[in-house]
Amino acid sequence: MAKSDDCAHILQGLLVFGNVVIGMCGIALTAECIYFVSDPHGLYPLLKATANSDINAAAWIGIFVGLALFALSILGIIGVIKASRTLLLVYIILMLITFAFEMASCITAATHRDSLTPEFFLKQMLDRYQKSEPANNSDSEITKAWDELMLQNHCCGVTGPSDWQEYVSEFRRTHSDADYPWPRKCCVLDAQGLPVNLDGCKLGVPGYFNSNGCYDAISGPANTHAWGVAWFGFAILCWTFCVLLGTMFYWSGIEY
Amino acid sequence: HPHSRPRHPGVSTMLPLLLLLLPAAHGIAPLGYRPALTKDPQLEGVKTASTFVVDQPRCVFQNYSNAVIWLVVALNQAASTFNNSAGPGTSETAFQRFPDPVRAYMTLNATLGSYPCPKPDGDIAVLRVGSETSCIRDEMRPSCNGPLPGPGPYRVKFLALEGSVPVAETAWSVPITLREAKPSSTISTTGSGHSPGMIAITTILSILFAILLAGLVAMLFFWGSDSCGSSSTFSKPESVTVRRYNTHHVYDQPAARL
Repeated sequence: MAKSDDCAHILQGLLVFGNVVIGMCGIALTAECIYFVSDPHGLYPLLKATANSDINAAAWIGIFVGLALFALSILGIIGVIKASRTLLLVYIILMLITFAFEMASCITAATHRDSLTPEFFLKQMLDRYQKSEPANNSDSEITKAWDELMLQNHCCGVTGPSDWQEYVSEFRRTHSDADYPWPRKCCVLDAQGLPVNLDGCKLGVPGYFNSNGCYDAISGPANTHAWGVAWFGFAILCWTFCVLLGTMFYWSGIEY
Repeated sequence: HPHSRPRHPGVSTMLPLLLLLLPAAHGIAPLGYRPALTKDPQLEGVKTASTFVVDQPRCVFQNYSNAVIWLVVALNQAASTFNNSAGPGTSETAFQRFPDPVRAYMTLNATLGSYPCPKPDGDIAVLRVGSETSCIRDEMRPSCNGPLPGPGPYRVKFLALEGSVPVAETAWSVPITLREAKPSSTISTTGSGHSPGMIAITTILSILFAILLAGLVAMLFFWGSDSCGSSSTFSKPESVTVRRYNTHHVYDQPAARL
Protein backbone atom coordinates (compact mmCIF):
# COMPACT_ATOMS: atom_id res chain seq x y z
CA MET A 1 0.00 0.00 0.00
CA ALA A 2 2.79 2.34 0.87
CA LYS A 3 4.29 2.03 -2.58
CA SER A 4 1.03 2.79 -4.39
CA ASP A 5 0.39 5.63 -1.96
CA ASP A 6 3.70 7.10 -2.98
CA CYS A 7 2.76 6.52 -6.60
CA ALA A 8 -0.51 8.26 -6.02
CA HIS A 9 1.13 11.19 -4.33
CA ILE A 10 3.70 11.55 -7.10
CA LEU A 11 1.02 11.49 -9.76
CA GLN A 12 -1.09 13.96 -7.83
CA GLY A 13 1.89 16.24 -7.48
CA LEU A 14 2.69 16.00 -11.17
CA LEU A 15 -0.89 16.73 -12.14
CA VAL A 16 -1.11 19.71 -9.82
CA PHE A 17 2.15 21.03 -11.24
CA GLY A 18 0.89 20.43 -14.79
CA ASN A 19 -2.29 22.32 -14.07
CA VAL A 20 -0.42 25.22 -12.50
CA VAL A 21 1.66 25.52 -15.67
CA ILE A 22 -1.49 25.35 -17.81
CA GLY A 23 -3.05 28.12 -15.74
CA MET A 24 -0.06 30.40 -16.12
CA CYS A 25 0.22 29.67 -19.84
CA GLY A 26 -3.46 30.46 -20.19
CA ILE A 27 -2.94 33.88 -18.68
CA ALA A 28 0.09 34.43 -20.91
CA LEU A 29 -1.90 33.41 -24.00
CA THR A 30 -4.68 35.82 -23.09
CA ALA A 31 -2.23 38.66 -22.60
CA GLU A 32 -0.43 37.93 -25.86
CA CYS A 33 -3.66 37.77 -27.84
CA ILE A 34 -4.94 41.01 -26.31
CA TYR A 35 -1.69 42.62 -27.44
CA PHE A 36 -2.17 41.38 -30.99
CA VAL A 37 -5.82 42.40 -31.12
CA SER A 38 -4.86 45.91 -30.05
CA ASP A 39 -2.90 46.16 -33.34
CA PRO A 40 0.10 48.20 -32.24
CA HIS A 41 1.54 48.41 -35.76
CA GLY A 42 -1.60 49.67 -37.44
CA LEU A 43 -1.70 46.78 -39.88
CA TYR A 44 -5.23 45.60 -39.16
CA PRO A 45 -6.89 47.35 -42.16
CA LEU A 46 -4.43 45.69 -44.50
CA LEU A 47 -4.90 42.24 -42.98
CA LYS A 48 -8.64 42.50 -42.63
CA ALA A 49 -9.44 42.44 -46.32
CA THR A 50 -8.96 38.79 -47.07
CA ALA A 51 -11.19 36.21 -48.62
CA ASN A 52 -10.12 33.45 -46.30
CA SER A 53 -9.63 33.15 -42.61
CA ASP A 54 -8.98 36.10 -40.42
CA ILE A 55 -5.87 36.27 -38.31
CA ASN A 56 -7.72 38.39 -35.82
CA ALA A 57 -10.30 35.67 -35.27
CA ALA A 58 -7.49 33.39 -34.15
CA ALA A 59 -6.35 36.01 -31.65
CA TRP A 60 -9.85 36.53 -30.31
CA ILE A 61 -10.32 32.80 -29.83
CA GLY A 62 -6.95 32.79 -28.08
CA ILE A 63 -8.14 35.33 -25.53
CA PHE A 64 -11.10 33.23 -24.47
CA VAL A 65 -9.18 29.96 -24.59
CA GLY A 66 -6.55 31.44 -22.31
CA LEU A 67 -9.13 32.43 -19.73
CA ALA A 68 -10.80 29.04 -20.02
CA LEU A 69 -7.50 27.28 -19.50
CA PHE A 70 -6.87 29.30 -16.38
CA ALA A 71 -10.31 28.50 -14.91
CA LEU A 72 -10.10 24.84 -15.85
CA SER A 73 -6.66 24.47 -14.36
CA ILE A 74 -8.03 25.61 -11.01
CA LEU A 75 -10.84 23.08 -11.38
CA GLY A 76 -8.30 20.44 -12.22
CA ILE A 77 -6.17 21.17 -9.18
CA ILE A 78 -9.18 20.91 -6.89
CA GLY A 79 -10.31 17.71 -8.58
CA VAL A 80 -6.91 16.06 -8.29
CA ILE A 81 -6.44 16.95 -4.65
CA LYS A 82 -9.95 15.79 -3.69
CA ALA A 83 -9.65 12.76 -6.05
CA SER A 84 -13.26 13.34 -7.08
CA ARG A 85 -14.36 11.38 -10.15
CA THR A 86 -17.14 13.81 -11.06
CA LEU A 87 -15.00 16.88 -10.89
CA LEU A 88 -12.25 15.28 -12.92
CA LEU A 89 -14.67 14.02 -15.56
CA VAL A 90 -16.11 17.52 -15.96
CA TYR A 91 -12.58 18.83 -16.12
CA ILE A 92 -11.54 16.39 -18.82
CA ILE A 93 -14.56 17.03 -21.03
CA LEU A 94 -14.29 20.82 -20.76
CA MET A 95 -10.58 20.64 -21.41
CA LEU A 96 -11.19 18.66 -24.58
CA ILE A 97 -13.59 21.31 -25.82
CA THR A 98 -11.02 24.02 -25.07
CA PHE A 99 -8.38 21.91 -26.81
CA ALA A 100 -10.52 21.78 -29.93
CA PHE A 101 -11.01 25.55 -29.97
CA GLU A 102 -7.35 26.27 -29.46
CA MET A 103 -6.51 23.79 -32.21
CA ALA A 104 -8.79 25.73 -34.54
CA SER A 105 -7.12 28.98 -33.54
CA CYS A 106 -3.61 27.68 -34.20
CA ILE A 107 -4.47 26.23 -37.59
CA THR A 108 -6.32 29.42 -38.58
CA ALA A 109 -3.38 31.60 -37.63
CA ALA A 110 -0.89 29.42 -39.47
CA THR A 111 -3.05 29.15 -42.60
CA HIS A 112 -3.70 32.86 -42.77
CA ARG A 113 -0.04 33.63 -42.30
CA ASP A 114 0.70 31.56 -45.41
CA SER A 115 -1.60 33.71 -47.49
CA LEU A 116 0.21 36.95 -46.68
CA THR A 117 2.46 36.96 -49.71
CA PRO A 118 3.92 40.10 -51.34
CA GLU A 119 1.65 39.53 -54.33
CA PHE A 120 -1.38 39.66 -52.05
CA PHE A 121 -0.43 43.05 -50.61
CA LEU A 122 0.64 44.36 -54.00
CA LYS A 123 -2.72 43.60 -55.55
CA GLN A 124 -4.56 45.08 -52.60
CA MET A 125 -2.48 48.25 -52.70
CA LEU A 126 -2.84 48.72 -56.46
CA ASP A 127 -6.58 48.13 -56.38
CA ARG A 128 -7.50 50.16 -53.34
CA TYR A 129 -4.90 52.76 -52.41
CA GLN A 130 -6.27 56.23 -53.10
CA LYS A 131 -9.34 54.82 -54.75
CA SER A 132 -11.23 57.82 -56.08
CA GLU A 133 -14.72 56.69 -55.13
CA PRO A 134 -14.17 54.58 -52.05
CA ALA A 135 -16.69 51.77 -52.30
CA ASN A 136 -16.80 51.31 -48.57
CA ASN A 137 -15.04 52.42 -45.47
CA SER A 138 -12.29 49.88 -45.76
CA ASP A 139 -10.86 51.54 -48.89
CA SER A 140 -10.20 54.83 -47.10
CA GLU A 141 -8.85 52.89 -44.15
CA ILE A 142 -6.44 51.08 -46.42
CA THR A 143 -5.29 54.41 -47.87
CA LYS A 144 -4.72 55.81 -44.39
CA ALA A 145 -2.92 52.66 -43.28
CA TRP A 146 -0.60 52.73 -46.31
CA ASP A 147 0.15 56.43 -45.87
CA GLU A 148 1.01 55.87 -42.24
CA LEU A 149 3.08 52.82 -43.10
CA MET A 150 5.12 54.61 -45.79
CA LEU A 151 5.63 57.60 -43.53
CA GLN A 152 6.71 55.67 -40.43
CA ASN A 153 8.93 53.13 -42.12
CA HIS A 154 10.38 55.32 -44.90
CA CYS A 155 9.39 52.87 -47.56
CA CYS A 156 7.43 52.94 -50.81
CA GLY A 157 5.09 50.39 -52.33
CA VAL A 158 5.39 46.70 -51.60
CA THR A 159 8.64 45.88 -53.41
CA GLY A 160 9.65 49.44 -54.26
CA PRO A 161 8.51 52.59 -56.10
CA SER A 162 8.57 50.64 -59.35
CA ASP A 163 5.35 48.96 -58.29
CA TRP A 164 3.58 52.14 -59.29
CA GLN A 165 5.26 52.08 -62.69
CA GLU A 166 4.95 48.43 -63.52
CA TYR A 167 1.25 48.03 -62.85
CA VAL A 168 -1.93 49.91 -63.54
CA SER A 169 -3.38 51.17 -60.28
CA GLU A 170 -6.29 53.13 -58.89
CA PHE A 171 -3.75 55.72 -57.81
CA ARG A 172 -2.64 56.17 -61.41
CA ARG A 173 -6.20 56.94 -62.52
CA THR A 174 -6.34 60.13 -60.49
CA HIS A 175 -2.67 61.09 -60.42
CA SER A 176 -0.82 61.60 -63.71
CA ASP A 177 2.36 59.69 -64.27
CA ALA A 178 4.38 62.82 -65.05
CA ASP A 179 3.44 64.60 -61.83
CA TYR A 180 3.26 61.54 -59.60
CA PRO A 181 5.49 58.70 -60.76
CA TRP A 182 4.89 57.45 -57.22
CA PRO A 183 2.91 58.88 -54.31
CA ARG A 184 4.24 61.92 -52.49
CA LYS A 185 4.54 59.87 -49.32
CA CYS A 186 7.40 58.02 -51.00
CA CYS A 187 9.46 61.22 -51.01
CA VAL A 188 11.77 62.17 -48.17
CA LEU A 189 9.66 64.64 -46.25
CA ASP A 190 10.67 67.50 -44.01
CA ALA A 191 9.18 68.43 -40.66
CA GLN A 192 6.11 70.00 -42.25
CA GLY A 193 5.37 66.93 -44.29
CA LEU A 194 6.44 68.43 -47.62
CA PRO A 195 8.98 66.80 -49.93
CA VAL A 196 12.51 68.04 -49.32
CA ASN A 197 13.15 68.17 -53.06
CA LEU A 198 10.13 67.45 -55.20
CA ASP A 199 12.02 67.31 -58.48
CA GLY A 200 14.60 65.03 -56.98
CA CYS A 201 11.83 62.80 -55.73
CA LYS A 202 10.09 62.69 -59.11
CA LEU A 203 13.35 61.92 -60.88
CA GLY A 204 14.22 59.24 -58.40
CA VAL A 205 17.49 60.69 -57.22
CA PRO A 206 18.89 58.54 -54.42
CA GLY A 207 18.44 60.36 -51.14
CA TYR A 208 15.27 62.25 -52.03
CA PHE A 209 12.91 59.35 -52.15
CA ASN A 210 12.43 56.03 -50.35
CA SER A 211 13.62 53.29 -52.61
CA ASN A 212 12.91 50.21 -50.48
CA GLY A 213 9.61 48.39 -50.30
CA CYS A 214 7.30 48.13 -47.34
CA TYR A 215 6.83 44.38 -47.43
CA ASP A 216 9.36 43.77 -44.67
CA ALA A 217 7.64 46.30 -42.45
CA ILE A 218 4.34 44.48 -42.96
CA SER A 219 5.43 40.88 -42.89
CA GLY A 220 7.60 41.27 -39.81
CA PRO A 221 4.80 42.11 -37.38
CA ALA A 222 2.34 39.91 -39.24
CA ASN A 223 4.68 36.94 -38.88
CA THR A 224 5.23 37.62 -35.20
CA HIS A 225 1.49 37.87 -34.74
CA ALA A 226 0.72 34.65 -36.55
CA TRP A 227 3.52 32.55 -35.18
CA GLY A 228 2.98 33.94 -31.70
CA VAL A 229 -0.58 32.71 -31.72
CA ALA A 230 0.09 29.49 -33.62
CA TRP A 231 3.28 28.19 -32.05
CA PHE A 232 2.60 29.28 -28.51
CA GLY A 233 -0.83 27.72 -28.75
CA PHE A 234 0.76 24.56 -30.14
CA ALA A 235 3.17 24.38 -27.21
CA ILE A 236 0.37 24.84 -24.70
CA LEU A 237 -1.64 22.13 -26.37
CA CYS A 238 1.21 19.65 -26.29
CA TRP A 239 1.63 20.24 -22.57
CA THR A 240 -2.13 20.04 -22.06
CA PHE A 241 -2.15 16.72 -23.92
CA CYS A 242 0.30 15.23 -21.43
CA VAL A 243 -1.59 16.58 -18.44
CA LEU A 244 -4.88 15.27 -19.77
CA LEU A 245 -3.48 11.82 -20.39
CA GLY A 246 -2.16 11.78 -16.85
CA THR A 247 -5.51 12.94 -15.53
CA MET A 248 -7.34 10.22 -17.43
CA PHE A 249 -4.99 7.64 -15.98
CA TYR A 250 -5.45 9.09 -12.50
CA TRP A 251 -9.23 9.17 -12.92
CA SER A 252 -9.44 5.55 -13.88
CA GLY A 253 -7.46 4.65 -10.79
CA ILE A 254 -9.62 6.42 -8.26
CA GLU A 255 -11.87 4.13 -6.22
CA TYR A 256 -15.47 5.18 -5.89
CA HIS B 1 44.78 39.87 -104.92
CA PRO B 2 42.27 40.64 -107.63
CA HIS B 3 41.63 44.13 -106.20
CA SER B 4 44.32 46.53 -105.12
CA ARG B 5 42.14 47.97 -102.38
CA PRO B 6 38.74 46.91 -101.03
CA ARG B 7 35.88 48.90 -102.43
CA HIS B 8 32.78 49.75 -100.39
CA PRO B 9 29.84 48.23 -102.32
CA GLY B 10 27.60 51.26 -101.87
CA VAL B 11 30.14 53.90 -102.71
CA SER B 12 28.84 54.31 -106.21
CA THR B 13 25.40 55.31 -104.95
CA MET B 14 26.73 57.24 -101.94
CA LEU B 15 28.55 59.90 -103.95
CA PRO B 16 25.61 61.30 -105.94
CA LEU B 17 23.47 61.22 -102.79
CA LEU B 18 26.05 63.24 -100.88
CA LEU B 19 26.24 65.74 -103.71
CA LEU B 20 22.45 66.04 -103.60
CA LEU B 21 22.32 66.56 -99.87
CA LEU B 22 25.18 69.04 -99.73
CA PRO B 23 23.23 72.16 -100.74
CA ALA B 24 20.36 71.21 -98.47
CA ALA B 25 22.63 70.57 -95.51
CA HIS B 26 24.44 73.81 -96.07
CA GLY B 27 25.29 75.39 -92.73
CA ILE B 28 24.23 72.66 -90.27
CA ALA B 29 27.28 71.28 -88.55
CA PRO B 30 26.77 67.69 -87.42
CA LEU B 31 28.10 67.31 -83.88
CA GLY B 32 29.26 63.87 -82.86
CA TYR B 33 27.31 63.90 -79.59
CA ARG B 34 24.46 61.42 -79.26
CA PRO B 35 21.84 62.18 -76.60
CA ALA B 36 21.29 59.30 -74.22
CA LEU B 37 19.29 58.35 -71.16
CA THR B 38 21.00 59.39 -67.96
CA LYS B 39 23.20 56.67 -66.54
CA ASP B 40 25.00 58.57 -63.83
CA PRO B 41 23.55 58.92 -61.23
CA GLN B 42 21.23 55.94 -61.39
CA LEU B 43 17.76 57.42 -61.38
CA GLU B 44 14.73 55.37 -60.46
CA GLY B 45 12.59 57.51 -62.72
CA VAL B 46 14.90 57.55 -65.74
CA LYS B 47 12.02 56.07 -67.70
CA THR B 48 8.43 56.21 -66.55
CA ALA B 49 5.24 55.61 -68.47
CA SER B 50 5.19 59.12 -69.95
CA THR B 51 8.54 60.74 -69.21
CA PHE B 52 12.21 60.01 -69.67
CA VAL B 53 15.42 61.68 -68.60
CA VAL B 54 18.38 62.56 -70.85
CA ASP B 55 21.68 64.17 -70.01
CA GLN B 56 22.08 67.85 -70.68
CA PRO B 57 24.35 68.60 -73.69
CA ARG B 58 27.23 70.00 -71.67
CA CYS B 59 30.38 70.98 -73.55
CA VAL B 60 28.74 70.15 -76.88
CA PHE B 61 27.58 73.48 -78.31
CA GLN B 62 30.65 75.47 -77.27
CA ASN B 63 31.02 77.22 -80.62
CA TYR B 64 27.42 78.41 -80.73
CA SER B 65 27.09 80.89 -77.90
CA ASN B 66 24.50 82.88 -79.83
CA ALA B 67 22.26 79.96 -80.65
CA VAL B 68 19.17 78.68 -78.93
CA ILE B 69 19.40 74.96 -78.33
CA TRP B 70 16.19 73.02 -78.82
CA LEU B 71 15.36 69.42 -78.10
CA VAL B 72 13.61 67.60 -80.93
CA VAL B 73 11.46 64.64 -79.88
CA ALA B 74 10.32 62.44 -82.75
CA LEU B 75 8.58 59.15 -83.28
CA ASN B 76 11.10 56.50 -84.20
CA GLN B 77 10.03 56.27 -87.82
CA ALA B 78 9.77 60.06 -88.24
CA ALA B 79 13.35 60.73 -87.13
CA SER B 80 14.94 60.25 -90.51
CA THR B 81 12.39 62.47 -92.26
CA PHE B 82 12.54 65.39 -89.85
CA ASN B 83 12.99 68.73 -91.56
CA ASN B 84 15.56 70.80 -89.69
CA SER B 85 14.11 74.00 -91.08
CA ALA B 86 10.78 73.48 -89.38
CA GLY B 87 10.46 76.36 -87.00
CA PRO B 88 9.94 75.80 -83.32
CA GLY B 89 6.85 77.28 -81.77
CA THR B 90 4.81 76.73 -84.93
CA SER B 91 1.96 74.34 -85.45
CA GLU B 92 4.28 72.08 -87.44
CA THR B 93 6.26 71.30 -84.34
CA ALA B 94 3.64 71.92 -81.66
CA PHE B 95 3.54 69.46 -78.81
CA GLN B 96 -0.25 69.64 -78.62
CA ARG B 97 -0.54 68.14 -82.10
CA PHE B 98 1.87 65.30 -81.39
CA PRO B 99 1.83 62.40 -82.41
CA ASP B 100 -0.85 62.94 -85.00
CA PRO B 101 -0.53 64.85 -87.34
CA VAL B 102 2.74 66.26 -86.02
CA ARG B 103 5.30 63.44 -85.78
CA ALA B 104 8.11 65.38 -84.16
CA TYR B 105 7.96 68.34 -81.82
CA MET B 106 10.49 70.78 -80.43
CA THR B 107 10.74 71.76 -76.81
CA LEU B 108 13.06 72.59 -73.91
CA ASN B 109 14.73 75.57 -75.53
CA ALA B 110 17.75 76.97 -73.72
CA THR B 111 20.84 79.05 -74.41
CA LEU B 112 24.40 77.94 -73.92
CA GLY B 113 24.41 79.69 -70.55
CA SER B 114 22.06 77.02 -69.21
CA TYR B 115 24.60 74.35 -70.00
CA PRO B 116 27.87 75.61 -68.47
CA CYS B 117 30.99 73.69 -69.32
CA PRO B 118 32.59 71.84 -67.62
CA LYS B 119 29.90 70.32 -65.46
CA PRO B 120 30.70 70.84 -61.76
CA ASP B 121 31.15 67.61 -59.84
CA GLY B 122 28.14 66.61 -57.84
CA ASP B 123 25.67 68.50 -60.00
CA ILE B 124 22.93 66.48 -61.60
CA ALA B 125 22.63 67.83 -65.13
CA VAL B 126 19.60 66.22 -66.65
CA LEU B 127 16.60 67.13 -68.71
CA ARG B 128 13.29 65.49 -67.88
CA VAL B 129 11.24 65.17 -71.05
CA GLY B 130 7.56 65.23 -70.19
CA SER B 131 7.54 67.07 -66.89
CA GLU B 132 5.20 69.94 -67.74
CA THR B 133 1.59 68.94 -67.24
CA SER B 134 0.03 72.40 -67.12
CA CYS B 135 0.27 73.12 -70.84
CA ILE B 136 -0.79 69.76 -72.30
CA ARG B 137 -3.81 71.30 -74.00
CA ASP B 138 -2.65 74.91 -74.15
CA GLU B 139 -2.34 75.69 -77.86
CA MET B 140 -0.66 79.00 -77.00
CA ARG B 141 2.36 77.04 -75.78
CA PRO B 142 3.44 74.84 -78.67
CA SER B 143 6.85 74.27 -77.14
CA CYS B 144 5.34 72.65 -74.06
CA ASN B 145 7.43 69.91 -72.50
CA GLY B 146 4.39 67.76 -72.02
CA PRO B 147 4.15 64.09 -71.06
CA LEU B 148 4.56 61.68 -73.91
CA PRO B 149 1.32 60.15 -75.07
CA GLY B 150 2.46 56.55 -75.42
CA PRO B 151 5.29 54.14 -74.82
CA GLY B 152 7.02 55.10 -78.09
CA PRO B 153 9.66 54.31 -79.21
CA TYR B 154 10.98 57.85 -79.54
CA ARG B 155 14.24 59.41 -80.65
CA VAL B 156 15.64 62.78 -79.62
CA LYS B 157 18.32 65.12 -80.80
CA PHE B 158 19.48 68.62 -80.00
CA LEU B 159 19.23 71.35 -82.64
CA ALA B 160 20.91 74.76 -82.36
CA LEU B 161 19.13 77.64 -84.08
CA GLU B 162 20.45 81.14 -84.60
CA GLY B 163 17.34 83.16 -85.17
CA SER B 164 15.40 80.77 -87.34
CA VAL B 165 18.38 79.22 -89.10
CA PRO B 166 19.58 75.84 -87.88
CA VAL B 167 23.34 75.87 -87.41
CA ALA B 168 24.22 72.65 -85.58
CA GLU B 169 22.65 69.40 -84.67
CA THR B 170 23.60 66.33 -82.69
CA ALA B 171 23.01 62.78 -83.79
CA TRP B 172 19.71 61.12 -83.13
CA SER B 173 19.58 59.05 -79.97
CA VAL B 174 18.91 55.33 -80.04
CA PRO B 175 15.17 54.55 -79.89
CA ILE B 176 13.81 55.03 -76.38
CA THR B 177 10.86 52.89 -75.35
CA LEU B 178 8.98 53.91 -72.23
CA ARG B 179 7.58 51.64 -69.53
CA GLU B 180 4.19 50.11 -69.97
CA ALA B 181 2.03 49.28 -66.99
CA LYS B 182 0.55 45.83 -66.75
CA PRO B 183 -2.93 45.41 -65.32
CA SER B 184 -3.04 44.28 -61.71
CA SER B 185 -5.01 41.21 -62.69
CA THR B 186 -1.77 39.71 -63.97
CA ILE B 187 -0.56 39.37 -60.39
CA SER B 188 -1.25 35.84 -59.26
CA THR B 189 -2.08 35.60 -55.61
CA THR B 190 -3.00 31.94 -55.60
CA GLY B 191 -1.14 28.84 -54.72
CA SER B 192 1.79 29.81 -52.62
CA GLY B 193 1.23 26.47 -50.98
CA HIS B 194 1.21 25.68 -47.32
CA SER B 195 4.29 26.19 -45.28
CA PRO B 196 5.77 23.11 -43.58
CA GLY B 197 5.09 24.68 -40.20
CA MET B 198 1.39 24.88 -40.83
CA ILE B 199 1.25 21.27 -42.03
CA ALA B 200 3.17 20.13 -38.95
CA ILE B 201 0.86 21.98 -36.59
CA THR B 202 -2.24 20.58 -38.25
CA THR B 203 -1.15 16.95 -38.34
CA ILE B 204 0.35 16.82 -34.88
CA LEU B 205 -2.59 18.53 -33.22
CA SER B 206 -5.06 16.31 -35.02
CA ILE B 207 -3.24 13.21 -33.85
CA LEU B 208 -3.09 14.45 -30.26
CA PHE B 209 -6.77 15.32 -30.28
CA ALA B 210 -7.64 11.91 -31.68
CA ILE B 211 -5.63 10.19 -28.95
CA LEU B 212 -7.37 12.24 -26.27
CA LEU B 213 -10.79 11.42 -27.65
CA ALA B 214 -9.88 7.75 -27.72
CA GLY B 215 -8.72 8.01 -24.14
CA LEU B 216 -11.94 9.66 -23.11
CA VAL B 217 -13.97 6.94 -24.79
CA ALA B 218 -11.89 4.24 -23.12
CA MET B 219 -12.35 5.94 -19.78
CA LEU B 220 -16.12 6.13 -20.05
CA PHE B 221 -16.40 2.64 -21.48
CA PHE B 222 -14.62 1.17 -18.53
CA TRP B 223 -16.47 3.33 -16.00
CA GLY B 224 -18.55 0.60 -14.51
CA SER B 225 -16.08 -2.25 -14.44
CA ASP B 226 -13.22 -2.80 -12.03
CA SER B 227 -10.83 -3.24 -14.86
CA CYS B 228 -7.17 -4.03 -14.95
CA GLY B 229 -6.90 -4.32 -11.18
CA SER B 230 -6.49 -0.63 -10.88
CA SER B 231 -9.61 0.04 -8.89
CA SER B 232 -7.97 0.17 -5.53
CA THR B 233 -4.62 1.61 -6.64
CA PHE B 234 -5.32 5.13 -5.42
CA SER B 235 -7.26 5.39 -2.23
CA LYS B 236 -9.38 8.30 -1.25
CA PRO B 237 -8.05 10.41 1.61
CA GLU B 238 -10.99 9.60 3.92
CA SER B 239 -10.43 5.82 3.68
CA VAL B 240 -12.04 3.19 5.91
CA THR B 241 -9.67 1.94 8.58
CA VAL B 242 -9.66 -1.77 9.29
CA ARG B 243 -10.52 -2.53 12.90
CA ARG B 244 -8.64 -5.27 14.62
CA TYR B 245 -10.65 -7.95 16.27
CA ASN B 246 -9.37 -9.15 19.65
CA THR B 247 -9.53 -12.95 19.32
CA HIS B 248 -8.88 -13.58 23.00
CA HIS B 249 -12.06 -11.81 23.94
CA VAL B 250 -14.15 -14.48 22.08
CA TYR B 251 -12.63 -17.48 23.89
CA ASP B 252 -12.83 -15.87 27.34
CA GLN B 253 -16.66 -15.78 27.43
CA PRO B 254 -17.48 -19.56 27.50
CA ALA B 255 -14.78 -20.11 30.19
CA ALA B 256 -16.46 -17.49 32.43
CA ARG B 257 -19.94 -19.17 32.12
CA LEU B 258 -18.64 -22.62 33.05
